[in-house]
Amino acid sequence: MTAPAANDGRVRVEGLVKRFWDEGRGEIRAVDGIDFECVPGEVFGLLGANGAGKTTTLRVLATTLQPSAGRATVNGHDVVRSPESVRRSIGFHSASTALYPRLTAKETLEFFARVNGYPADRVPGRVDELLDRFDIRPYADARIDTLSSGMKQKVSLARTVAHDPPVLIFDEPSVGLDVVNALELRRIVAELRDAGKTILFSTHVMPEAEKVCDRIAIMHGGHILSVGTLEQHRSRTGLHYLEDIFLADLTGADVAAP
Amino acid sequence: MNHVFWRDVRVLWGREVRGALRERSVVVNSILLPVVLYPLLLWIEISALGFVAGLAERSSARVAVLGDASARSEIVEVLEGTPGDGAPENDAGPIEIVDTPTTLDEALTRLAAGDLDAIVTLEEPAAGGDALENNARVVVRYDRSVDRSRRALERIERVMDGARADRLALEAERLALPPGAAEPLRVTRRNVSTDEALGTTLLGLMIPLFLVIAVALGCLVPAVDTTAGERERGTWETLMTTRASRGSIVTAKYLYVASFGATAGVLNVAAMSISLGPILAPLQGMGDGGPALVVSLAPTAIVVMALGAVLLALFFAAAMMPLAAFARTFKDGQALVTPVFYLALVPLVLGQQTDRTLTPAIAMIPVANIAMAVRDAIHGVFIWPLLGVTAAVSVALILVFITFSRWILGFEDFLMGSYSGRPWRFVRDKLGSAR
Amino acid sequence: MTPFGALLRHELRLLARDTRMILIAIVLPLILFPGLILVLRAVERDETERLDRGEYQYAVRDTAQARDLAELLERALTLPGDRPGARFDRARTATPDSALASGTVHIVAEWSGADTVQTEGPYRPGVTLRYRADSDLSRAAATELEARLLALGRQERDSVFRAAGFPADPGRVLELEATNVATPAREGGARLGLLLMPFVLLLLLTGGSIAAVDTLSGEKERGTLETLLTTGLTRAEIIRAKLLAIVALGLVLVTVNAANLVTYLVIGVLELPAGLALSVAPIDALLVLLLLVPLAVLVAGALLLLSGRVDGYKDFQIAFFPVMLAFVALAAPAALPGMELRSAIALVPVAGLGVAVREVMVGERDWLFLALAWLSSGGAAYLLTVLAERGLSTERLIGGAMLSERDVRGGPALFPYRVARWFAVLWALFFTVSLWFGDALGVRGQVVVNLIVLFSGATWLMIRWYRLDARQALSLRAPPRRAWLAVALGAPAGYVTAIGLAGLVDAYLLPVPQSMLEAFGEAMLIETIPVWQLLLFLAVLPAIAEEVAFRGVLLHGLRARMRPVAATLVAGAVFGLFHVSLFRLVPTAYLGVILATTVVLTGSIYPAMLWHFLNNAMAIVPTRMGWIDVSTEIPWWVYAAAAVALAASFAVLLSARSASPREERASPQGRTT
Repeated sequence: MTAPAANDGRVRVEGLVKRFWDEGRGEIRAVDGIDFECVPGEVFGLLGANGAGKTTTLRVLATTLQPSAGRATVNGHDVVRSPESVRRSIGFHSASTALYPRLTAKETLEFFARVNGYPADRVPGRVDELLDRFDIRPYADARIDTLSSGMKQKVSLARTVAHDPPVLIFDEPSVGLDVVNALELRRIVAELRDAGKTILFSTHVMPEAEKVCDRIAIMHGGHILSVGTLEQHRSRTGLHYLEDIFLADLTGADVAAP
Repeated sequence: MNHVFWRDVRVLWGREVRGALRERSVVVNSILLPVVLYPLLLWIEISALGFVAGLAERSSARVAVLGDASARSEIVEVLEGTPGDGAPENDAGPIEIVDTPTTLDEALTRLAAGDLDAIVTLEEPAAGGDALENNARVVVRYDRSVDRSRRALERIERVMDGARADRLALEAERLALPPGAAEPLRVTRRNVSTDEALGTTLLGLMIPLFLVIAVALGCLVPAVDTTAGERERGTWETLMTTRASRGSIVTAKYLYVASFGATAGVLNVAAMSISLGPILAPLQGMGDGGPALVVSLAPTAIVVMALGAVLLALFFAAAMMPLAAFARTFKDGQALVTPVFYLALVPLVLGQQTDRTLTPAIAMIPVANIAMAVRDAIHGVFIWPLLGVTAAVSVALILVFITFSRWILGFEDFLMGSYSGRPWRFVRDKLGSAR
Repeated sequence: MTPFGALLRHELRLLARDTRMILIAIVLPLILFPGLILVLRAVERDETERLDRGEYQYAVRDTAQARDLAELLERALTLPGDRPGARFDRARTATPDSALASGTVHIVAEWSGADTVQTEGPYRPGVTLRYRADSDLSRAAATELEARLLALGRQERDSVFRAAGFPADPGRVLELEATNVATPAREGGARLGLLLMPFVLLLLLTGGSIAAVDTLSGEKERGTLETLLTTGLTRAEIIRAKLLAIVALGLVLVTVNAANLVTYLVIGVLELPAGLALSVAPIDALLVLLLLVPLAVLVAGALLLLSGRVDGYKDFQIAFFPVMLAFVALAAPAALPGMELRSAIALVPVAGLGVAVREVMVGERDWLFLALAWLSSGGAAYLLTVLAERGLSTERLIGGAMLSERDVRGGPALFPYRVARWFAVLWALFFTVSLWFGDALGVRGQVVVNLIVLFSGATWLMIRWYRLDARQALSLRAPPRRAWLAVALGAPAGYVTAIGLAGLVDAYLLPVPQSMLEAFGEAMLIETIPVWQLLLFLAVLPAIAEEVAFRGVLLHGLRARMRPVAATLVAGAVFGLFHVSLFRLVPTAYLGVILATTVVLTGSIYPAMLWHFLNNAMAIVPTRMGWIDVSTEIPWWVYAAAAVALAASFAVLLSARSASPREERASPQGRTT
């Protein structure tokens, strides 16, 4: 493999494997040899049921888990060899990345911009910008633990992009959001894509994947069954709805499996 | 709504206990860790004692002797020579005479700096001693704040006692006094406590303290976990929407906390007394530090101790749970309960005195009364009326707490974890609405 | 502001905003400590009062001269003693011993050696006071009565001397007068130095634990840890920021509480005991503060490590108490009277600092050893910090209770990760048995229990439990022939150098009380046990059972995870710890290292067995046969020759190693993935 150019904004995954061990079930291959690449200006979707390996893949990319085999680079940095550089290049957002309840919204943004190495003199300006862009200003000085879940969602998204990273990773971000907030989330993701960010987006909600993602990888049992734009998926299977395409892929996979 | 159905209680209690026993950390930390930790602690202390003894035995007391040359040389000879008949009890330990400082002031400076341990000067005998030829008053300057200096004084005293006895014996011979006249009356102290009595005393000092702390600690974690912890995990509401009455649920939880606390207390005390028993003997200045402490407890004593543990557990559980139940997270619950835990320090106040028993006054103080009753029991003392008072006081307090718990359980907003985990907000609201 | 600076500020802000934590960690001790001190002082005063004004009962054993003794005691009791307020009454009882046992009588007095009483003259053989050490009243009565009797004895002696025409007061012959030159401030410093350490440690532990649990376990529980771990910060930065936050809180806590106590002293709510004053020179205060820094870091590191290991608040709570006890146990030796900084104690973390603080508080500044104490605790703190960092990079933190392959499969691959636990439990059992049943079992019984039941039993259990290949785990292979030559040369050389080493350790590191050495020698060479039995129990059985346990399973387990040199050193140290007594620690660890090296170099346990047997036999036979005794001095050239012989022995072993076929890796199963 050719060495990826540093800071190319791309995410590359080659032959990635992640194994776990469980007392009752023995070895579990949560991710079992997947390859994909996504580029700036693209929303790459990982679609799959719970346990398909989406979260594990994204956590490996965020360097919180170590790959058992295979290779992954983010923005030209290897996740094993230079995890710090990888983390500085990404914004990671998931249902389990919580906010500090005892900080205010504004302090949260300031803090995450600073610890991710955003130039110190530009932090106040950046926070100002984020407060407006995510409509947080009205409750900028309220403590997180007093905010509603919709407000927290906005702060959390703003914190993800606080240091203006080239790569953004969203792990099932819409879980637990109401319709209005989910719409808002989608709007923001589209905006970020248009700003030239590389975006990884995992979900198990088919219509959401249809609307948000430029390319969709259908995952099941640690494998990627198929990758492509929605149109490519449709022409490949002759089915219209992603839900049907997904089910068709799954059936195929189960038939093909020994 | 608040009725208690005992069959439900039994089922609910069983679930709580099973849940606790299935947690690896609980089992490892409460059983495996003490097994290794307490002997290790004991080894550290025994090694330290041996180390200090060796250190003291080896290090010479550095003594400077001031005075005119002739008298000085005599005293130096006495201090340096092996005193007495060389038998171990007369061996005071090494004394090293250091080069003489020129002035007393210089010597005092060196004493203060720790370069010297004692200064010996020879003075004219005081009135009453001056009539004797060749007599002197030996003045020892030492620093009481330094162990080494105190030890030097002891060594010099011992040597000088020997020298004085020799001199008096000589004088007695010269005066043709009968043999032994120079020796004052010998007084020997003999400790007649059996090892068993010593062991009993040590356990009597140790067990009540450990028991109270262990029971309080044992209650603290489950009390918070089964209330605030459940609320944090979201299982509180699941439980409250089952068929079981609130009374049954809370009773089961209460009994679970109390049984857990009592068991933890008893187990811990057993482990500690097995491991730490021998070490306390030398530290308390009793006995020779031999580990052969044999302790036998009367069956009645064990019953009283077990009852004491149960009462303590019921008390701490009843005092902790209503507080912890206000909290919404384990952390908050712990913060609310911690002041109650400090009650466990009450027996400390009893001090470590021997020969004390339960008095009517102590019997009225919660926690302290049980601690004292347990100590009495270890000594085989049973003052039944006061034990009755102790039990009555404890039970009354427990009932007060339980009544309070049942009262606050009646409030829906409490049940659902309102008040941001702040009891005083609850109190303010209730008082406000009453007005 | 650098990312690290931002993180540190953030941690401090989070701590400061935790109101409940502040209340419990700072405000509660502010009330609790002075309260506790007041009550304890009151109890202490009450106790002194009780003993000073006690009404003591004494009985006189009914012998022929009982009346004489009673009269003597009465006269003694008219003298003023140390407790003039005490009252002594004679109890008339026919059974003084049982009265003493039941507590109705505090002292039983009798003539010493009652059979040989001299009846004429005032010269008596002496008085024995029987008392009970387990009763404060009885002890106080004995001390007081003893003092008065001695005073009476001196009076009588003096009157005899004076009647015979002695010109002087016999009490003034070579009279010794002790003058305490310590100023009240110095004595206050000594007292404070003793109390300072437990006080600071308690505050650091209780306050630090609340902060530590919140900053790591709490973040884990709230999910903010994952957020933090996906930022550009390194694990080391995260741990250091958290550590510094806890240290800062600890130091604030100590300062605030110290200031609080001083305030109480100034306004007079608390008062110092008589004869003490509180005055610490600024430089000493600074020095003490400097000494407390590594302590604060050490405590914070330990708590942070714990907090990272456990799964939440609850687990932390359960595990905290043992950790606290461990710290207290480490600090306690510093309070022993007679402990001096200029000794090996400076090398012990926590304890060394405690002694250092005590000495600084009385104005002694032994810079070299102060630095040693500082470095030893600082080094331990650094070690804990590194461990905490490592803990933070494990995936368990994120994935919940994740297991590794070896956890699930068990068997030989898991054994290297469990061997330490097995030997820890084994040590605890071994120690407890020897402490409680050592005397009852006797030498032979102890050997049987320790070697056969504990060591061999545990070895067998480990082999079964982890399905180990016994041949491989115990190195049951034929050694190269040259190894036997090396043993024949090395065993005497090793024994002699061990004696030399023990002498050096005794002189410079760990001084041993003479009584302890003698007791050990006696236990080893009991005359009633025939020589062949001594050899069987103290040489043959240890050579088999101890080798199998320590150079067998232990070394095998350690080698899978360590370099050979580290494994031999650790195996040796563990072997030393199993000899319990401090003075045997270094020589036996030395022997353990030698034996482990033999096994590593030859790939076989048999030479080590022979070496061990020869070593023990040399310790038994020459002394027992009376060829040498304790006073036998070994000339220096013997040590030198032994060192040369030992080196030669290892040279032979090394050459044998290169001649032997390639050594198999200790645990190839460990790396199957």
